[in-house]
Amino acid sequence: MSAQPDKQVIVHAEKVNKFFGALHVLKDVSLDVYKNEVVVILGPSGSGKSTFLRCINHLEKINDGHIYVNGHMIGYLERDGRLVEDSEANIARQRAEIGMVFQRFNLFPHLTALGNVIEAPIRVRGIPASQARAEGERLLERVGLADKRNQYPNQLSGGQQQRVAIARALAMKPNLMLFDEPTSALDPEMIGEVLEVMQELADEMTMIVVSHEMGFARAAAQRVVFMDKGQIIEQGAPEEFFDHPKEERTRLFLGQILH
Amino acid sequence: MYYFDWELFWRYIWPPSAFQDPLLRAGLVVTIVVSIVAQALGVGFGLLAALGKMSKFAGFRWLADGYIWYFRGTPLLVQMSLLFFGLGVTHIYDFPDIRLGILTISGAIQAGTLALAINEGAYMAEIIRAGIESIDPGQMEAAKSLGMNYSLAMRRIILPQAARVIIPPLGNEFNNMMKTTSLLQVISASELFFAFNQANARLFKPFELFIAASLYYLALTTIWSFIQSRIEARVGERKGATQRPGLWQRFLSGGTKGAH
Repeated sequence: MSAQPDKQVIVHAEKVNKFFGALHVLKDVSLDVYKNEVVVILGPSGSGKSTFLRCINHLEKINDGHIYVNGHMIGYLERDGRLVEDSEANIARQRAEIGMVFQRFNLFPHLTALGNVIEAPIRVRGIPASQARAEGERLLERVGLADKRNQYPNQLSGGQQQRVAIARALAMKPNLMLFDEPTSALDPEMIGEVLEVMQELADEMTMIVVSHEMGFARAAAQRVVFMDKGQIIEQGAPEEFFDHPKEERTRLFLGQILH
Repeated sequence: MYYFDWELFWRYIWPPSAFQDPLLRAGLVVTIVVSIVAQALGVGFGLLAALGKMSKFAGFRWLADGYIWYFRGTPLLVQMSLLFFGLGVTHIYDFPDIRLGILTISGAIQAGTLALAINEGAYMAEIIRAGIESIDPGQMEAAKSLGMNYSLAMRRIILPQAARVIIPPLGNEFNNMMKTTSLLQVISASELFFAFNQANARLFKPFELFIAASLYYLALTTIWSFIQSRIEARVGERKGATQRPGLWQRFLSGGTKGAH
């Protein structure tokens, strides 16, 4: 392991179950993620890994179980031993502390790169526009796009758009970052620039990354989690996980993606 | 052989002489102002109904569905008569004249404007909903993931993008609205067509007068076409949106459909 994780739990998921109609997409998924830890979730498509990630900031509802982020249950309140949906305001408040980066970037096309970055700090956090702009420019510089701040998303390449999306999420100063297949929609020559930004972040952030990028997982992750058919099959430090997988299904999957 | 009274015709289409008729002068102003107010209110009603239709609360959905069903399924002329004469006779609301300084807004104009607006809202609801639904759901997810609540995300992220989709049909609705205000003459609201009807009652020259009347409406809708294409060009230019139909094409099409 590259760094010993703190013991403070950031995400605590406990026996999470989810159905899409009759389809049981998450089966008793439990996972703890610690402060400053970087966890990469791997798995074949349809394994439930993206769905699980989206449950962590309540973009998806869960049918059973609990998810705590920063010590508070997300999306639900416990009332008389039963779970009821939390208020919109409470959910929004918790989401503000969780950054998310999407496979398809989801930048706001009517706003410039800088506009994308400063929108939520100004409207949600109430930060003065001048301060938000200064911080936004610093963030764009950090992801190597200082000169693109006045460009609209459709004037940027996929890799640049994804870097703006990372800056946008960081602008809220989250203490947890979720990445949902951040490089899957990119042309191969643009994957590197995005992974580079993520790798720099990995030294200082708690991150959960759904991705098939083995190089990134080996270099930046403290832990790799393998999911299949809605369950966590195996997890461990990257060297151990990639070089000596314990489960047959893991070996099969790694065999497929490494060749 | 019909004798066409050119002298009268010119007198009624040449503004300096036509506007000596105070009824016509006021009528033109009323038609323009009522069109703008009714369209603006209609957009407001339409937005409420569109959001109601997409609400997670069944009560709001039913309310919006019922509103759209009734007002698109019945004639505007009937709605307008019901509102003005029907409400008047029950004394639920008599539509008294409103005085604003030197300006008096007659009950008929109020009722007519309201009827136009409510009717228009039912059509705008579907236009606005289609605009909102054309936006990638990922936009709402991204906004929520940044801690925005639904109404903030709607106002700042979804509606500004939906506006690009909504504005072209909205412009066509306004074109229709200006023509549809002529229905107000049945409740004796003194708009443009009412003024020509009054002149005709005096002079009995329906052929000359109603051609003249039609030319006023044509002038209004033509000016609006110019404004509309400028607005659409401005909205479209930033993102290199799809090409709108050319100016001439648009004039000759004269709007897209008849009055509701």
